[in-house]
Amino acid sequence: MRLPLAWVRDYIDLDAPSDEIVRRLAMLGFPVESVERRPPLAGVVVGRVATVERHPNADRLSLCTLDVGADEPLTIATAATNVAAGQVVPVARIGAVLAGPDGGSLQIAPRTMRGIASQGMLCSAAELGLEADWFEDGILQLEPELAAGTDALAHYRLGDDVLEVEVTANRVDAMSVLGLARELAAAFEVPLREPATTSRPLEPPTASTFMVTLASPDCRRFVAQRVTGLRVGVSPAAMRIRLALAGQRPIDSIVDVSNFVMLELGAPPHFYDAAKLSGRALTVRDARAGELLRTLDGEERSLDESALVVADASGPIGLAGLRGGAASEVTAATTSILIETASFAGPRVRRMGARLGLRTDASSRHEKTIPLGLVDLAAARAAHLLEAAGARAHAPSVAGAAHVAATPIAVSTKTIERTLGFRPSIRETQGALERLGFTVTVRSAEWQFDDFGQSAYLATPPPWRGDVAIPVDVVEEVARAIGYDRIEAILPTTEPQIIASGDYENERRVAAALAALGYREAIAYSLQPHDAYETFARAGIEVAEPVEIDNPLSAEQRYLRFSLLPGLLALAAKFQAAAPLRTFEIGHTFARAATTGAPPVEMEAVAWTLVGARSDDPQWRDSGFLTFKGEAEALLRALTGRVAETVTTRVAALHPGKTASLVVGGKDVATIGAVDPRLLLAYGIERPIYAGLLRLRDLPAHATPVYRPASRFPAVERDLALVVAPDVPAREIAFVVRASGDGLVRGVRVFDEYRGPQVGAGKKSLAVRVTLQRDDATLTDAEVDACIGLVLAALRDQLGAEIRA
Amino acid sequence: MSDLASQLEAVGASLRATLEQVADATQLDEARVRFLGRSGELTAVRRSIGTLPAADRPAAGKTINEAAAELEASIAARGRALEARALEASLATAIDVTFPGSKALTGSIHPLRRTLEDACAYFERRGFAVVLGPEIETERNAFDALNIPADHPAREGFDTFYLGEYLLRPHTSPMQIRVMLEHPAPVAIVVPGKTYRRDANDARHTYMFHQIEGLQIGANVHMGHLKGVLTGLCREIFGSEQAVRFRPSFFPFTEPSAEIDTTCPACAGLGCRTCSGSGWIEIGGCGMVHPNVLRAVGYDPDEVGGWAFGCGIERLALTRYGMDDIRVFFENDPAVLELLA
Repeated sequence: MRLPLAWVRDYIDLDAPSDEIVRRLAMLGFPVESVERRPPLAGVVVGRVATVERHPNADRLSLCTLDVGADEPLTIATAATNVAAGQVVPVARIGAVLAGPDGGSLQIAPRTMRGIASQGMLCSAAELGLEADWFEDGILQLEPELAAGTDALAHYRLGDDVLEVEVTANRVDAMSVLGLARELAAAFEVPLREPATTSRPLEPPTASTFMVTLASPDCRRFVAQRVTGLRVGVSPAAMRIRLALAGQRPIDSIVDVSNFVMLELGAPPHFYDAAKLSGRALTVRDARAGELLRTLDGEERSLDESALVVADASGPIGLAGLRGGAASEVTAATTSILIETASFAGPRVRRMGARLGLRTDASSRHEKTIPLGLVDLAAARAAHLLEAAGARAHAPSVAGAAHVAATPIAVSTKTIERTLGFRPSIRETQGALERLGFTVTVRSAEWQFDDFGQSAYLATPPPWRGDVAIPVDVVEEVARAIGYDRIEAILPTTEPQIIASGDYENERRVAAALAALGYREAIAYSLQPHDAYETFARAGIEVAEPVEIDNPLSAEQRYLRFSLLPGLLALAAKFQAAAPLRTFEIGHTFARAATTGAPPVEMEAVAWTLVGARSDDPQWRDSGFLTFKGEAEALLRALTGRVAETVTTRVAALHPGKTASLVVGGKDVATIGAVDPRLLLAYGIERPIYAGLLRLRDLPAHATPVYRPASRFPAVERDLALVVAPDVPAREIAFVVRASGDGLVRGVRVFDEYRGPQVGAGKKSLAVRVTLQRDDATLTDAEVDACIGLVLAALRDQLGAEIRA
Repeated sequence: MSDLASQLEAVGASLRATLEQVADATQLDEARVRFLGRSGELTAVRRSIGTLPAADRPAAGKTINEAAAELEASIAARGRALEARALEASLATAIDVTFPGSKALTGSIHPLRRTLEDACAYFERRGFAVVLGPEIETERNAFDALNIPADHPAREGFDTFYLGEYLLRPHTSPMQIRVMLEHPAPVAIVVPGKTYRRDANDARHTYMFHQIEGLQIGANVHMGHLKGVLTGLCREIFGSEQAVRFRPSFFPFTEPSAEIDTTCPACAGLGCRTCSGSGWIEIGGCGMVHPNVLRAVGYDPDEVGGWAFGCGIERLALTRYGMDDIRVFFENDPAVLELLA
């Protein structure tokens, strides 16, 4: 909310510069979002117009003489047409500085206008830095009782900054100038001047007095107070200037009072034109279905039971805490009004506003439930301000409890120390609470002598605080008043940990391992349009319908992602020019629950993709796959400490002939493969792309490898050229070589494959490198030959392999 | 004799002439073979000894051996000279070291994960467990148990995404409830993770974002500990000069509550555009766990108490990397990921 320091200073004397006020407000829990500096002004005094004459040499100019409290009156020429003798107006003397157009500045110099020297200038609101449209055309009219010669800038505090202050939801009492002034008074330890509420005795109740009935528990207090003898006019300049600085346009002498009280106290009054009400009974009740109310904004609103209304004999006359009805609107002809102030249930007001699409300055306060202690005060204050304009206030009719008798909250010094880590002295604690308006009794056997003994404070919150209910609430108030800066930073000790961090460690290790292999992590939004699913479905990929959000912000964010792949494919499509592109993501994927009522199924998934270079591989070879597979094997080795085996498999979204399971310890851990070419078409990806998928839950624990001494004897490598049927997998060859090599085989690697005319149709040729080694001796040529002989025989017998000539 | 001497003299002259032409180690080897090898010139001379009278042979042999040693020495000298010259030539060569290095294959973790991991690493060193939780939550864990009243605006569909009776967690705090329900006090955990709120995406907001949540409950845990831990966290992420300031605030699940400010890293607290001139940036909310939250998980607020905090990771990372648009984190442009790696 906008907080004009000019207004704050009506209640407290505050010499501090605004930077210091900003800091203190922040440390009280009211951060200042911005500071609006007022335009620099100087040399403006209050002048009383003595005479006004037509300028002898100019039809459009008037010549005024003004009493500015000096010996000699000033003669000033003006083009304004609203000046008359007897008025009190702001006068800029020679040398004065005013606000110029476009945020500039205007210096007043001696000037001769059509032959007559003008000794200054009469000021409009705009020249004093105020919103021109919100004030009268021409010269600003000041209060008639102001003494000529008064420093107008100091009187209205026109140079004071305006702060934009953030107020937390629990402090509706501080959504007001007085509320924040009260906080500042406590922080600066200066006295607070409460605004006046009484000036003369109230008119006694008569037959015209309204009776109020509360027919809904959502209104806890309601005050209806009649004010008669009103004459609608212009509010005093001081009130209009305060409203304008607070961002509220001045309207007239009645409406301004209701806005002024709302901004001053935080409890918004509503004024009905009393003459336009039916009967003398008001009821606060639920609306009836189909009831209509034309609100002040001219909108005809159809209500139902969810609306809370104030009604007279004719039906609803206002939406509780939200907006009044047009039928009882205060106009220029109004002479008597009914002031309504009330405390409604905040959530009810908020829901009603949301339903009707209506939010007002008043409802932003009522949404937070006006404290009972402010209801009567606001009515009395409004009545008082109207009286000042000559009206008569009548005794109010009230309903509901004035103020729930606040029970003192007992807070021990132990609670304070346990919470804050230190114990302020009794004197300090009591002083802090009292400055915030609490009533405090100290119960302590020997508090005079021993500040370290146990004492208890009985703290009664002030009536405007609805938010303080339990001992720790009071502790916070103590801390706020003495300053959170007093809390000392200390490192805690922790007990030996029994809660496992395993899932997090797994994620971290996967991310680190993929990054070490050259993959970059991406984080995509978890919500997707239906399109992501449809693209898969249209491409002929088998996927289940994704989980739907009840209240998405847009169709783009309506479904929870069913897989990490759509996100990675979209990235691949977008950035494929940067290939080779290695990307991974770790995140949750979601599937619909198998049984109704159960939550959707959530999985911690990992996916990684490699966008490769276009290659001229023949159909039967995919060297990009082998690159990708090598990286996947290294990943699983790093994560599990073991070597993965490859098994042919099929999964949705991967190429049916280029997909493998990686198996560790007999368990499928990951799936890798070339992405289904139908998806490449669907996503517009023009390069080969491979994807790996795993679920963190499936990762076996990392097995610590067992040490085996490296052989000190040389290894021998032999390359074999074999011709086999095309469906013999490399894995089988390695298996047979190892099994048949008499225990000497230390490594087998199928490193080349050829198909074509040189081996003939229905065959393929493979190059296999076999590594032989003994731990206890150097292999002899005879041993090597014998071993290779065994291997070849086994390959021939078991796989029909021939040695290629 | 003189015949032998002249023969040796001729071989020596021939070698010297050859050595002068020798330019590298290979040619030097060839020269050695030519003169000293099995069928070399000196060997030919040595063979001629057989034609001499037996009495002269020892002297001739000696002379030849001496000549051989001389030849050996001059070949070796030439070898050393060649080596010296090669070394000199090598030392005199320079390459363009500014020529680009071959590109290494590098990967990276996302800047948001890096920031989360740095924060988690700090807490792990302090003895906290790092726990992860589901993103789909119940109203009980996300609101009821956290003392968020039934009619709180956050519960209405304006702020929270709903899935029937479940919801996408609007904060990581439900994990406080899950952990406390499962474990008796003391508890010391941090929870990194994704959270969701119905905010339209703009430079400062995305409907999905990351938080880190901390919770410590024990018999003697107070607000000073909270301040100490968070001061350490800010120093971990922004550097050792960081200060932390607590400002009063309001959250339903903590009392007293505070906003956490740390020295603006962009201006070291002097005041700049990043911190709107205040010298401080806001990094999260915190406070002492509300007694109603402790009761909701079966703890006795008279016996144990503690603190909780929550920080938005995107905001930390924006400040850390000097960025001003949060959406960039979710665009995953490889060039940006590489830059922030």
